[in-house]
Amino acid sequence: MIKKLAKVVAAAAIVGALVATAVTPASAVVPGIKSGLKIAIMPKAVNIGYFTAWNKGAQKACKEIGAKCTYVGPTEATGPAQVQFINKIIQQKYDVLVISAADQNAIVPSLKKAKAAGITVVTSDADVAEASASSRVVSILPAASSRIGTAQVDWIAEAVGKKGSIAVLSAAATAANQNAWIKAMGPYLTKKYPKMSWVGGTVGKSTFYGDDDATKSTAQFAAILSQYPDVAGIISPTTVGVLAAAIEKKAKSAKVKVTGLGLPSQMAPYIEDGTVKKVGLWNPIDLGYVAVYAAARAESGTFTGKVGTSFKAGTTTYKVTTGGVAFLGDPFTFTKENIKTFKKIY
Amino acid sequence: MKKKYTFGWDQGVSVFLVLTVVVGGFISEYFATIDNISFVIQDVAEIAIIALAMTYLIIAGEIDLSVASILSLTSATVGFLFRNGTSFEVAIVGGLLVGLLCGLLNGYLVTVIGLPSLAVTIGTLALFRGLCYALLGNEPVNELPENWIVLGYENIPGTFLPWSAIPLAILAAIAWIVLHYTRIGRWTFAIGINPEAAKFSGIPVARMKLGLFAMTGLMSGVAGVVYTLRFASASPDGAVGYELSVIAAVLFGGVAIAGGIGTLWGVLAAVLSLGAIRSVLQLIDFSANALLVVSGALLLISVVAPKAIEIYQSRRNSAFVTK
Amino acid sequence: MKTLVKKVFRVRELPVFLALVIVVIITGTANPEFFTLSGFQDVTLGVAVVATLAVAQTLVIVMKHIDLSVGSTIGFSAYLIGDASSQGHGFWYCMGLGLALGLTVGTVNGFMVAYLRLPSLVVTLGTLYIVRGLFNEVAGGNTITEDMVPGPINFMGLNTFFGIPYLFLVAFLLMLVVGFVMRRTRSARDLYAIGSNLLAAELGGIPVARRVFLAFLATGAVSGLAGAVLLARFNTAAANSGNGLELSVVAACVVGGVAIAGGVGTVYGAVIGAILLQAITMALGALGIPQFWQLAVNGTLLIAAISLDRYLSTRVKPTSIMGAK
Repeated sequence: MIKKLAKVVAAAAIVGALVATAVTPASAVVPGIKSGLKIAIMPKAVNIGYFTAWNKGAQKACKEIGAKCTYVGPTEATGPAQVQFINKIIQQKYDVLVISAADQNAIVPSLKKAKAAGITVVTSDADVAEASASSRVVSILPAASSRIGTAQVDWIAEAVGKKGSIAVLSAAATAANQNAWIKAMGPYLTKKYPKMSWVGGTVGKSTFYGDDDATKSTAQFAAILSQYPDVAGIISPTTVGVLAAAIEKKAKSAKVKVTGLGLPSQMAPYIEDGTVKKVGLWNPIDLGYVAVYAAARAESGTFTGKVGTSFKAGTTTYKVTTGGVAFLGDPFTFTKENIKTFKKIY
Repeated sequence: MKKKYTFGWDQGVSVFLVLTVVVGGFISEYFATIDNISFVIQDVAEIAIIALAMTYLIIAGEIDLSVASILSLTSATVGFLFRNGTSFEVAIVGGLLVGLLCGLLNGYLVTVIGLPSLAVTIGTLALFRGLCYALLGNEPVNELPENWIVLGYENIPGTFLPWSAIPLAILAAIAWIVLHYTRIGRWTFAIGINPEAAKFSGIPVARMKLGLFAMTGLMSGVAGVVYTLRFASASPDGAVGYELSVIAAVLFGGVAIAGGIGTLWGVLAAVLSLGAIRSVLQLIDFSANALLVVSGALLLISVVAPKAIEIYQSRRNSAFVTK
Repeated sequence: MKTLVKKVFRVRELPVFLALVIVVIITGTANPEFFTLSGFQDVTLGVAVVATLAVAQTLVIVMKHIDLSVGSTIGFSAYLIGDASSQGHGFWYCMGLGLALGLTVGTVNGFMVAYLRLPSLVVTLGTLYIVRGLFNEVAGGNTITEDMVPGPINFMGLNTFFGIPYLFLVAFLLMLVVGFVMRRTRSARDLYAIGSNLLAAELGGIPVARRVFLAFLATGAVSGLAGAVLLARFNTAAANSGNGLELSVVAACVVGGVAIAGGVGTVYGAVIGAILLQAITMALGALGIPQFWQLAVNGTLLIAAISLDRYLSTRVKPTSIMGAK
């Protein structure tokens, strides 16, 4: 019995040694950043294409600053699952944690613990709740929630000819980013496009949740069409949702117009064949890249993250605005003209 | 049909726990630290508390797949009440009450309506989760009272134990004594071994089962309160998928899915060793994908190993005894 | 035996079929869109994946076993098919890959359950995790997109045969074939005997282990091939494909009168059960139930459907999770 167990443990140890591939730090050094930092890059969940691209940028920055970066995270995008990995980061005495918050509240106590243990925490892509902003140094976000929300309303207005009713196919009901963007869409539509409306009366009643799951998103897309046969357009502010919507629109030859936030590599077939005219997204590679620079500078003591301060990532300088947030800039839009180039990048 | 092993799997799990801790301490310098041990206990607390009740239920030949949804509904109720102005203490009592009611509903559907528990708790899994969304919508509750949430992430002063170790230890002690040293415990086993025979020997089978389901609901509620404090928030999508972790832990602890066999300390050792092994593997940089494979492999080992022992022992015995 | 099975067939499917008719009528009255061709296509297309898996799951449940690994298997298979196709392999090679995966999982499950006599719930829960873990390791962050899907699979997902989605036809044909086999062949009828009384089945000379093994093998094979159905339906696959599908499949079987207690139920019931659950989900939206209440109502109706089946059938009262021992 014990022999058997010992064998299992020994085998596990060998596999573990194989799995743990060490990243050798490059020799390049950037002024104002300590070299040889131990940095953890934690996505909401590994095995998601968007975060693979995000990590690509982070690794690029790590190479430039001579840091040792590890991409680590759970397989399920939940707060409790991330907390287990945050503990690992704390125990292994990492210098820096760059994290996309899978739950804006649940990971806060753990982030506070990490901070108390001397780890510099920077959120990127998805931030913690406003009330808990002190649990991280700074947050690197693509663009202001209002900008991301209103831009998508502009795209759908263009697609439907500025008239008709529209709906939203979101991620999970608790997805903080999506909720903030959707909140900004409501008043903007009423103000800017008087001939347009929400299928359910208000933006809240017109939002459907596909849980970032292909099966559920597809079902919800069908539900929108059957509940509101005259829906003119659907905004899906999430990569899984907008892909599912495009596939289903094509399958049903539905007249409804679709736009939203999608990865160009995944959306390319549908933009090339005209199913979807335009989607947008910031560059997740840049997002990861900038976050690593911000975090490394904060850890090196050359950046405080205070409102009004700024930091340099690569050749660009970013400024920290209200709430301790730095923005990347407006999302790119992808159309037939440029999709060929972008689909190769991310 | 059932055989009694001289070396039970519950003992095997205890050995496994010790081995994990010792080997873990050797292969990772970060594992056997006070901070990490505190974290592992905290990390398994909710699963452990529910597993205590689930042990009874599976020994009695039933199962409850809705426990994670009950946990989340309790948490959502606490958040909902608190957001609507009740004091946090009252909100907690309200949450526990909801947990108990959920358990009673499961018990009612199984014992009175006569539905199979595996099927009916798939239904209540959806119902209770749905009620979480009905209560909180898409707005999680945060900013809970600070004096309460420190209990969620701080240790008992002067020790390496998290506060959640207290309810866990008390409940585990009670559950252990009741299961192995009282009439209720014996009845639980009797029902699992043969419900018909149990009925004829005067055991109130239906009432016992109703009680066990209610208790499972209440314990899931307690886990829900612990969960709310640990994550300092209440969200409608809390603890998704925990039911399979609980069941996996109970089965890994040597409780037979067919009922009638199992020990409480086997289950406790299983919960702790699963938490410990996950921690070790994370600390030696196993990927999350590999962790999934290991969880599955451990489950298979938990049924294959006792079988192997059984075959080995029957062979050895037959060498001496001619049947 | 033959008349007995026939009788069972006639009674068992009635309640769930009536429930389906009621749901369709109520929903159709409230929202005429439900009665249109596109409403019909929504339901039938939406149910194809679960119906296919429910047919396979029936084989296992009537023996008083369960297979929880189907969700991981179908997802992994869908990914492998798309991945192989994107590397330039032909349609049949891709399908062979899916089938090989299904057979492998089925062999592991079947061997452990049939020959080692281990509880299927534990074994298949274990393989659920293992297959999902391997799947995640292989897939990483990759997503299969439409241009990687083999042509015939893509065609099946997008087109209809006289208004009926091809994917539903696949599930329907599978149901007819398996249904026929289960009624007409001795070995398939043995599965009912094993599920209703294992000891009697053994004493009666049924090669129990071989039957159980083959049933798990068949379930695995169907799950593997059904990867093509999943891929055709969604034209995409990623590391979380098929996650949690196993509970929907078991729910469909139970609602369709395939008793967890073993020994009763048919593939026709399982498919009707799947359609009923799909119709209910779509009906909730069509009837205007608010988003945040839909899951709760759905759960309530699921419990109601199981209760209804319990009342209208003559099944023995179950006394454990898998029914009376």
